[in-house]
Amino acid sequence: MNKEGRGVMIQGPVQERLQISPFMAAYVIISMQIGIGVLGFQRIIAKDAGTDAWISVIGAGLTIHIIVWIMYKICETVNGDVLDANVYLFGKIIGNSINTLFIFYYTVTCAAVLGGLFEIIRTWMFQSLSSFWFAAVYLLLGIYIVYGGFRTVAGISFFGLVIPFYLLFSFGFALQYGDFTNLLPLFDHSFIQLVKSGYHMSLSYLGYGILLFFYPFIKKPEQSKKFVHIGLLATTFIYAALAVITFAYFPLGLLEKSIWATLEMWKIVRLPILERFEYLGIANWALILLPNIALSLWVASRVTKRIFHISQKKSVIFIALACLIIVVLISTRERLNVLFDYTALVGFALAYVYTPLLYFSLLIKKKVKAK
Amino acid sequence: MKKSHFIVAVLFCMTILSGCVDRKVIDDVNIATGIGIDKSGNQFLGSIMIPVFKPDKSFGNFTFVSKGNVIRDLVSEMQKKASQPIVSGSLDIALFGEDVAREGLIKTLDVFLRDPSVGARVQLAVVDGKAVDIFKGRYGDRGNSQYLTQLLEHNMNQQNLPITNLHRFLANFYKRGQDPYLPMLKKSNHNLVTITGLALFKDEKVVDILHENKMFYFKLLVDNHILGVVKVKEAHGESTVKSIGLKKKMRLIRRDPYTFSIKIKLKGDLTEHQERMLKEGEIRKVEKQLAKQIARECKMLIEDFQRKGIDPVGFGHFAKSRTRSFDFKKWNTEYKNAKFKVSADVHLIGHGVVE
Repeated sequence: MNKEGRGVMIQGPVQERLQISPFMAAYVIISMQIGIGVLGFQRIIAKDAGTDAWISVIGAGLTIHIIVWIMYKICETVNGDVLDANVYLFGKIIGNSINTLFIFYYTVTCAAVLGGLFEIIRTWMFQSLSSFWFAAVYLLLGIYIVYGGFRTVAGISFFGLVIPFYLLFSFGFALQYGDFTNLLPLFDHSFIQLVKSGYHMSLSYLGYGILLFFYPFIKKPEQSKKFVHIGLLATTFIYAALAVITFAYFPLGLLEKSIWATLEMWKIVRLPILERFEYLGIANWALILLPNIALSLWVASRVTKRIFHISQKKSVIFIALACLIIVVLISTRERLNVLFDYTALVGFALAYVYTPLLYFSLLIKKKVKAK
Repeated sequence: MKKSHFIVAVLFCMTILSGCVDRKVIDDVNIATGIGIDKSGNQFLGSIMIPVFKPDKSFGNFTFVSKGNVIRDLVSEMQKKASQPIVSGSLDIALFGEDVAREGLIKTLDVFLRDPSVGARVQLAVVDGKAVDIFKGRYGDRGNSQYLTQLLEHNMNQQNLPITNLHRFLANFYKRGQDPYLPMLKKSNHNLVTITGLALFKDEKVVDILHENKMFYFKLLVDNHILGVVKVKEAHGESTVKSIGLKKKMRLIRRDPYTFSIKIKLKGDLTEHQERMLKEGEIRKVEKQLAKQIARECKMLIEDFQRKGIDPVGFGHFAKSRTRSFDFKKWNTEYKNAKFKVSADVHLIGHGVVE
């Protein structure tokens, strides 16, 4: 079943009944991009560029379009995913060693997301919640989704975005107390400061790299391009709008103290039937993060399957176990921050360094082979 | 088969894990609705007001009082006296004795900011006297905290009190180039609390009290909407005007010395006139008189703030938003020399149902 003699491919193409519609690709990517970072990116980007940071948000958002364009090119060149590309470029042994790193990366990403969610629930809702039981149940749900195959994972991405969409309206309450003169004067920071803040912003945007792995699962990938780019624009818009509202709502001095600025904006919400809106919002955030967990588990187990030929149903259990261990080990905020910093750094390197390099090497190799 | 096993496992987890975290049943907790901080010697005197729901659907109030050096300490002292845990998720109002407010509020408010269960809409007020005395009264029939918050909120929305709450206060405090302000309350008897004015802060300390009859002009300067009432006196006697719309334009005309111009455009209704009949053209006179009055009073207020070195209107913030790489250190001296031009334009669009 493995080799079909197409040279590049490790395995045969994905059957059509397992593939997703082109427009669903956008949901998969947006839901992976919106995760833990949304809750607290404002403070970090404001460190360098102050209230001008919303410009960096838009700028960083636009650079993603280039990276995603390159990702499509890579996948088109080898007519497969990034694993094929690595094997094609470096041969089986080195290529697969690089591919193994993806397993680690996505396992740790999964653990970081889960750790972040746990941290928020512990701080805002239940001080004595046990990280082990919480993570175990949540991962169980993740495994269950992965068992359904990629179409189920994509479906969860869809619902993980559409159902909690109403949360965006809740930020209207903060608008009422916003002072938009906080944002003036515009462009009061140097270009370097804007770039620095754009770098920090690009870390919150991470997640679109998943395209490199699920490309073979898109029916008519050519058609999915426009949806994916519209999706990226939507993410950029959400982040930029949130940044602007936050800067209007919090003066900089107060923003510096707010670890989860997005969550803190819910403190101003008061509904007749609900005294504390955060409880509803955080409970919903668990749903927003579900696609993050499911997709990370899916990618990690898929890569394992492709390299070691272990069935995905078995490998996903081991990966979830590894996640569980990491989550239990990172019990303090300092360790969690270290984990966030490293995964973000690796993610940034993968997106902005590794991806373009891979594409150029592929181009060269193709030219050499053609001769 | 396998799937059903899985579902059974999940259901099992759901049943046994749902009781794993701490629960707070609403009938079994003391819901703190008001907190008061006073000074007692070198220590803080804290009081927490709790509504008591009686079987006949009426309300009572209970106040826990304790002394301590830090705010959290006060609360844990009170927990020792309470038969059910005191929770802060529904805090409505926080009162500060004037002596505490004169020494600074930020350390106290840090507790509120840090506690995720406290909302940002908590009403803050400074008390002329002791906060604990206010809690000990008995006001209205909906409980003390409802009375106090509604007293403040309706005055903010429909009268002359400028809008404040925990978030506004903190935002004004942390915003560079602006000082916060809070309403000032006084207990007038066992059943009534009155708003006596505004406590004006320099950084975190109260330095001045604005009398209640200047609040209309103050609200004109700091808020964007106003439904206040103001008295006008002219040759034909006194009249009152209820404002229904406000347009304000602040401009920075010059930078050396800083010169600001404020144009206030007010729309209002004439609600009372001492003379029986409103003669032809008289309404114009009232308009003119009120415009003059607003311009004069606002200018006096601003110059008074300038003399005292406080900036509740936020001229520093405004200048910063109009100037690139603004220097706040210089601003402190520049503010003293700043000039202000206030002009007002009043348009009375109605005068009730009589001629």
